[in-house]
Amino acid sequence: MTKKRSPVNWTGFLFFLLCVGIVEVLARLGWLTSYVPPPSAIFVALWQGLIDGDISSQIGNTLWVYVQGLALATVLAIAIGVLMGTYKPVYDALKIIVEFLRPVPSVAMIPLAILFFGLGTQMRMSVVTYAAFWPMLISTIYGVRAIDPQALDVARNFGVAGAEVLWRVTLPSALASIATGFRVSATIALVVTITTELIAGNSGIGYYISQMEQADRLPPMYAAIILTGILGYLLNSIYFALEHRFVFWTPAAQERVR
Amino acid sequence: MNKVFNRGNASAILTVVVLLVLWEVIARALKSVYIPPISTIAVTFVHEWFSPTFAQQAIPSLYRMVVGYFFASVIGITIGIIIGTFKRMYELLDPVLQFLRAIPPTAIIPVGILLIGIGDQMKMVVIAFGSMWPILINAADGARMVPAQRLDTARIFGLTPFETLWRVIIPSSTPMIASGMRTGLSIAFIMIVVSEMIGSTDGLGYYILSAQRTFAIPEMYGGIALLAILGYLLNTGFVWAEHRVLAWHYGQTAKPV
Repeated sequence: MTKKRSPVNWTGFLFFLLCVGIVEVLARLGWLTSYVPPPSAIFVALWQGLIDGDISSQIGNTLWVYVQGLALATVLAIAIGVLMGTYKPVYDALKIIVEFLRPVPSVAMIPLAILFFGLGTQMRMSVVTYAAFWPMLISTIYGVRAIDPQALDVARNFGVAGAEVLWRVTLPSALASIATGFRVSATIALVVTITTELIAGNSGIGYYISQMEQADRLPPMYAAIILTGILGYLLNSIYFALEHRFVFWTPAAQERVR
Repeated sequence: MNKVFNRGNASAILTVVVLLVLWEVIARALKSVYIPPISTIAVTFVHEWFSPTFAQQAIPSLYRMVVGYFFASVIGITIGIIIGTFKRMYELLDPVLQFLRAIPPTAIIPVGILLIGIGDQMKMVVIAFGSMWPILINAADGARMVPAQRLDTARIFGLTPFETLWRVIIPSSTPMIASGMRTGLSIAFIMIVVSEMIGSTDGLGYYILSAQRTFAIPEMYGGIALLAILGYLLNTGFVWAEHRVLAWHYGQTAKPV
């Protein structure tokens, strides 16, 4: 995860185009299997899908499930994480559940979710929430436990108590760690949203991909796959930028500014 | 994680017992098909997994995963070390790799099915593709960030480029590679389950999804439990192996500098 500060990486970009060009030529010459359409056809399919709403309406579905699942996971993870990080008995009681449930691959929960919620958005949302919950929970617990005891003492001396400690000391100190966890969770959430749609959804980009695969309409299928990549990249860049902008008081961020 | 606190362990055990009893009581009270009593699930679990079913469903999954993950590690480490060592190479390939990496690995599965079919090979290929990226990226970062001191020392001692690679760059990158391989392992585990859910006739992913579809509910829960146990064992086993292999590294970094 290193950020390169150099301007535009032209060599790399040109090489990328060269690769695309080679695939284009090979596909047009028919040297590849018929399952690999030329990139230009994929690009046209992507453009058309976005304009006539075939693909763009599916993005909306996917993002809606993604945002809801991620938001719910964030609220739950921060609430439970703060409790577990602050109170040792809560931590002791719950840690074994965390240890047991965390390694369950979230996708294994899909059949269970179908059982309870059917194939609709609720099902997908529950799986996304489950998947996104764990990294944030762990990073919240770590963040809360790593609070400088001095800061808590100072707060106590100044007569800050109860909910105010939470608001003015605990959360600001733990926020950097929470933000890191959030970024991990957000990446996982998008992958899981699309995966769930792929397996059992009835709408969304993943569903569209599997429909196109079964209908043997390859350019739109590839277009949708590439679009998921673009989506993931954009979302990650946005979170990265937001994190730099809003979590500016931690030592790590200060270091970056200098 | 932390030191073993007796009181902590006691309350952990208490939590588990309370939860299991609650589950049993609630399930018996509800009499819902969807929530079978935990005792029924336990009986089914033992009945299913201490039988040939394990060889029929779990072994194929593990086999595909191990092979796919092995290729992911070999390819990821090789390419990662190469592009990490040669800066030009890194610049050249960076956009292509970023593009391929940004695609959610599971979205590749339909392509795999089209190109290769739904056999073992397809699963191995998509697992290798999906779990390769964190390994590759970490290997490249590890090789790029070898402390200049070490490279200078190698030069002073007159090491050939190959020796430098083998004795300086690769050992220096192993901690990074190990952490990439750990991420890769959990992706491989997800990929095997998903690829078996989408296109397969056996394996654990296939098993739990078809159990749900045929309303074999205790079997479904049992399958999920087995996946949880396997996931836990894989992760714990990896951490254990990592600490053994990288004992020198942890010894080095633990000391106060």
